Amino acid sequence: MTQKALDSDKQFSGHLKIVAFVCNWCAYAGADLAGVSRLQYPTNVRLIRVMCTGRLNHGFILRAFVTGADGVWVSG
Amino acid sequence: MHKTMKLTPKQIDYCMQCGMCTGSCPVSSEISGFSPRQLIRRTMLEPDTGLIQSPEIWSCLGCASCSQRCPVGIDFPEFISVSRRQARKAGNLPQESHHGVLQLIAELQTHAVKQQRTAWAREAGAFRDTGEYFYFVGCLPYFDVTFRYLNLTPLETARSILTLLNRIGVEPVISNDERCCGHDALWSGNESVFRKLARWNLEVIKSSGAKTVLFSCPEGYVTFKEHYPKYFGKLPFEVIHMTEFLVRKLPESNLSFQSSSEATITYHDPCRLGRLAGIYDPPRQLLQLFPEIQILEMERNRENSLCCGTIAWMECSSCSKTLQSTRLQEAIQTGAQTLITACPKCQIHFRCAQSRMESDLKVVDLYTYLRKRLRGEPAGDA
Repeated sequence: MTQKALDSDKQFSGHLKIVAFVCNWCAYAGADLAGVSRLQYPTNVRLIRVMCTGRLNHGFILRAFVTGADGVWVSG
Repeated sequence: MHKTMKLTPKQIDYCMQCGMCTGSCPVSSEISGFSPRQLIRRTMLEPDTGLIQSPEIWSCLGCASCSQRCPVGIDFPEFISVSRRQARKAGNLPQESHHGVLQLIAELQTHAVKQQRTAWAREAGAFRDTGEYFYFVGCLPYFDVTFRYLNLTPLETARSILTLLNRIGVEPVISNDERCCGHDALWSGNESVFRKLARWNLEVIKSSGAKTVLFSCPEGYVTFKEHYPKYFGKLPFEVIHMTEFLVRKLPESNLSFQSSSEATITYHDPCRLGRLAGIYDPPRQLLQLFPEIQILEMERNRENSLCCGTIAWMECSSCSKTLQSTRLQEAIQTGAQTLITACPKCQIHFRCAQSRMESDLKVVDLYTYLRKRLRGEPAGDA
């Protein structure tokens, strides 16, 4: 999942890649609302939606780093 | 002869299905479906699918109880270890404990990451960037963070060793760029991670100019001693276990130790240090430096020692827990107040098992035990 998110946009490979794990009910809804309101956010942030950030454990964060993320953001 | 058998073609020919392995196997006694004898037989009958696709391939602890007693000398742990590489390629993966965090930590170290491996040592004593002796700390700084929830401080081992070394006049090299030795990657069939980690380590040790590398972790020791030469040829330095080194140096140093009331102890032989590396006496000799210490041996000791139940942070199961509590019971039955072990992982596993049972037995690491008896050091209660 994380690997896919990182590979999805090869053209930005020069940027720092940030993987964001976002909660379906708040952070993701917020990002969605930002999109609907035509606000922009940096393209080097890759969102991964989870149904609850309680789903995550430290393994997810380390896995993101192993697969090449420069930063991990957990929001929810 | 099939490719899985390439490590020693004679092995499979020599297996006479006597079942000594299964009779000796601590896992077989808990999981009735697991049998080393049958795994060899199945590999002979169905070389491509028999073992490679089976979940049992991950149950073996590699503790070498079987190979120790095998009448024809089949190295079953090595056979399993080689087969696991193929199992991994075939998509048969183990169940990783702790959300796979420790495997990920090892994998992260294959990259050019900046680590903080020496922060503890700056407070604990004197060390160098280059010199004759290299102290290979291993995974202790990572364990220290990961196992706080068990009220464990694995770095205490490293601090104690640095204190002991400093007191006998040795200032070892401790490096920020050291990597995991790759033991767990190797034993879980992840050969590429092992190779990468080993290359980093060889490079780091070479650049330190060390002639002797000292290990406190039995896994690091046996991996450097047995497996690194197999992959990279003769190593340009000597590999010595800390117990061997201290047993040589402590008596000729003028350090003095103080006696303690808690003097009845029992010693647990870690599989890697005992059966795999053949080091049984140096840790006992270290403890015998104190005349008041009485070592009470457990029912199963030395080459018959019982494994602490888990290997390479995977497949922790009810079998592992049973082995751990059985071993703790054996220690309690000796009447000793303290169980000494020389392996950080044994200590972690026993502490985890202890959190689910009631016992007054103290599980203490060998080096911390020694350091607390050193005159001029805070005694503490261990």
